[in-house]
Amino acid sequence: MLFQDLILKLHEYWGRYGCVITEPYDTEVGAGTFYPTTFLKALGPEPWKTAYVAPSRRPQDGRYGENPYRFQYYFQYQVILKPSPADVQDLYLDSLRAIGIAVEDHDVRFVEDNWESPTLGAWGLGWEVWLDGMEITQFTYFQQVGGIDVNPISVELTYGLERIALYLQNKRHTYDVEYAPGVTIGEIRREFELEHCEYNFKYVDAEKVRRWFDDYEEEARRLLELKLIHPAYEFVLKASHAFNLLDARGVLGHAERQAYVQRVRRLAEATARVYLKKHHPEVAK
Amino acid sequence: MNLLFEIGTEELPAAYIPQATYNLKRMAAERLKKARLDFDGIETFSTPRRLTLIVKGLPPSSTRVEEERRGPPASAAFQDGQPTPAATGFARKAGVNVEDLEIKNNYVWARIIHEGEATSKLLPPLLAGLVRDLPAPKKMFWGAGDGPFVRPVRWLVARLGNEETLPVEVFNVIAGKTTRGHRFLAPGELEVNANNYASSLHEAYIVADPGQRRERIIFEAGTLAMSEGLEVVMPEDLIEEVTYLVEWPVAIMGSFSHRYLELPDEVLATVMIQHQRFFPVRTPGERLTNRFIGISGHQPSDLSVVRAGYEQVLEGRIYDAYFFWTEDLKTPLSEHHKRLTGINFHRGLGTMADKAARVRSAALKLASLPPLNSKPSPDKEVLREAAALFKADLPTQMVYEFPELEGIMARAYGEKQGLDIRVAQALEDAVRPLGHEAPLPRGPEGALLAAADRSDTLLGFFHLGKKPSGSADPYGLRRAAAGFVRILGAKGWPIPVKDVIGASADAYRSWGLEIEEGDIGEVHKFIDERVESLLTEAGLPTLAVRASQKSPSIYGKMLRARLIHELMQRPEFAELTRLYKRAANLASQSRRILEPDPRLFDTEEERLLFEALPSARRAVGELLEQGARLLPPWDPAQPPPETNLDPLADVLAQILALANALDPFMDRVLVMVEDEEIRENRLALLREVRDALGELGALELLSA
Repeated sequence: MLFQDLILKLHEYWGRYGCVITEPYDTEVGAGTFYPTTFLKALGPEPWKTAYVAPSRRPQDGRYGENPYRFQYYFQYQVILKPSPADVQDLYLDSLRAIGIAVEDHDVRFVEDNWESPTLGAWGLGWEVWLDGMEITQFTYFQQVGGIDVNPISVELTYGLERIALYLQNKRHTYDVEYAPGVTIGEIRREFELEHCEYNFKYVDAEKVRRWFDDYEEEARRLLELKLIHPAYEFVLKASHAFNLLDARGVLGHAERQAYVQRVRRLAEATARVYLKKHHPEVAK
Repeated sequence: MNLLFEIGTEELPAAYIPQATYNLKRMAAERLKKARLDFDGIETFSTPRRLTLIVKGLPPSSTRVEEERRGPPASAAFQDGQPTPAATGFARKAGVNVEDLEIKNNYVWARIIHEGEATSKLLPPLLAGLVRDLPAPKKMFWGAGDGPFVRPVRWLVARLGNEETLPVEVFNVIAGKTTRGHRFLAPGELEVNANNYASSLHEAYIVADPGQRRERIIFEAGTLAMSEGLEVVMPEDLIEEVTYLVEWPVAIMGSFSHRYLELPDEVLATVMIQHQRFFPVRTPGERLTNRFIGISGHQPSDLSVVRAGYEQVLEGRIYDAYFFWTEDLKTPLSEHHKRLTGINFHRGLGTMADKAARVRSAALKLASLPPLNSKPSPDKEVLREAAALFKADLPTQMVYEFPELEGIMARAYGEKQGLDIRVAQALEDAVRPLGHEAPLPRGPEGALLAAADRSDTLLGFFHLGKKPSGSADPYGLRRAAAGFVRILGAKGWPIPVKDVIGASADAYRSWGLEIEEGDIGEVHKFIDERVESLLTEAGLPTLAVRASQKSPSIYGKMLRARLIHELMQRPEFAELTRLYKRAANLASQSRRILEPDPRLFDTEEERLLFEALPSARRAVGELLEQGARLLPPWDPAQPPPETNLDPLADVLAQILALANALDPFMDRVLVMVEDEEIRENRLALLREVRDALGELGALELLSA
């Protein structure tokens, strides 16, 4: 199955189930959880079902394309179901069948993994799903988002698209995965990956990025004052990415790193509070 | 009647299941008893998707009991033969008619009959309560706010006898008579009851008994490895975890590229065990081979698909480690060491580079002190080199990714880069022990660094006022202190604990932090407490341990505690300690420090004691000397060596014999006489007694 068909199949499966299929967001994020369609929509009482591709950036994880699995840029496929349905594990296994994984032929396992995003003030319980020992999905029941206890509970399914494709196409390296007929992921991303690794590890101008962080933080605060939640949240995301760049560049000591994490977290929590107050004053405390 | 109660869940965390079944059984027994439901026994079963109780021999209804409840005094309950409000109120509360109240011993009594209730009526709320109250470190909600439980509860089975299904309802799940078989091998529901539970599930590809799963895992993995003349490495923790990760264990052996065997075994094992839950495989007793054994939770018709998957994933993981290995090796350890400046130790205590420098100076200073000349004496050159590279692997990529490989990587990189093997080993030793029972440093150089490291940590955090309180110990200071005690105790150096802390204090001072004597005292006390708790946990009697604390070095305390324990087993010792306590008390009233003068003796008892003293003193010295030979230093977290101490019988007898001279003296000689010269002379004699025996420990603590 081609990489692009994998995405189409998942869209088809979850679309048919009733998810709103949304398109990728246009600000750098570390994971699909950062999308407003997850972070903000998981708050409050109204039901919500969505699925989308989340191109994600983890500057720290870059390996110059030398590691078959680790990249600073990759795609997650994100599904949010709120409230979590009782048959969600079966729904998930069916989605694997839909993309051509005969689960009956494999060792599929749900291995405890308690997810936490210190920068988002969010945590949940669930599993990593292992397909023959390879983690292909993060499966999480959100308990808290932006420092707020959530109810009803959203379940988040995060598929690692490249890993699944490796498997389906029986390839050794992500770059060898066929994206479209005759076009590999390597052809599309090799140079992008290499240059970004160079930048992330060697050429991030730490002084400049620290300044950006300060500005983004200030801007997010200013916009929150104005109750412009979505623009404010975008600056929270930008601040988070700036922090990730500094982290990858290796210029943060332990204590300083913690301090940056706290600063992003405070912004994310403030955003969640303002959002909830505006949209669901009845549940906002 | 037998009860089957199964809580069907989404996959539970492996580490939680054993404690969950334990608590489930305990709570069920307590609550059944409270409901007056007798039973013959409770069995439990568990898999990642179910927690199960089988209660055997329940009666059809709870036991009928009669209760006699005492009420108000008769005088207050009845006036002129008429019940007062006190009587009617009591009767109402007890649920009896006022006429039925009885008067006995001047009080009013109600006879209350608790009729037996049908078991099938008592059980549903009781079972629902078990689900709600089962403790867990972290619980969650799901759906529209159902829960909390550890993971979502999806089905319940509650059956009494072979036919009856109990109406248990909790978290919006209603109990039925069917459970679920293996997710892939036997999808769908199947009816079960208490009498066919495990066997029915077995047919549905579920091994419900964790003990059986465990045996199967060990047997299958061992057989697979043996088929190729190899041995499987099965750490207990991993067996336990895997047992609770699968419902139907199937062992699969695979391999990885030969070239990765260049990596140290510890790295390969860490990747396999920590990341993939695979068991490493080795040639008998030797190095690892390029094989591994994974335990699948499923038995598809063609195992080669799963094997290929396992191999591909492991290959990628090892590739990652190999990448770190080759990258890290491009830089000499001494260069990595320089990057310690970029890693903070703790606010106020500097960076890891600062810490490494302090540890280095403290360790070198200690090595120059006379007590360290006793075996095993550190080699100064090896120590100097190792101290200069202490913590050098901390900034490497491998240790960043696999923190548990700290120390091991310093050794491996060091060896690869041509360090003296003793220096490399000292670097590995310097992080030991990593846990309560974890191995200790082997060589003296690493031990010295490891002790100085812990002393630096303790002193630093105590100085910042961050000592542990209650059960909270966020900086692991108890563990650090226990490590310190184990390291120094096992090496047996006669160095006072105070001197070791003092060396760290000096290192802090030259770094620029003014450590006060109070900090040193507190750390010393904290370490002494660890010694006491380690030795008592290892089985030495508390009193012997307390009495031994007078000795300034850790091994000194250990040895004395063991020898005092030996003395305590002799009946005469109680008498000696009693006399000793009185003698020591009196001796403390002595005003002058004199040697006893035999010319001033005027009783036979004085002379007898005086003559007995040299032999007792010599015997104590010999006991300590011979004791140290028979009981060379050991790990204080372990029970003392089971050496035969019979060779000590003579010296022990000589020490105990002192009572023969001390008893008549204490009995018949008046010490506190008017004549100061005689009095002081007699006190001096007692001081000699105190000093001779006191060498063993605070024996006065042993007297009741």
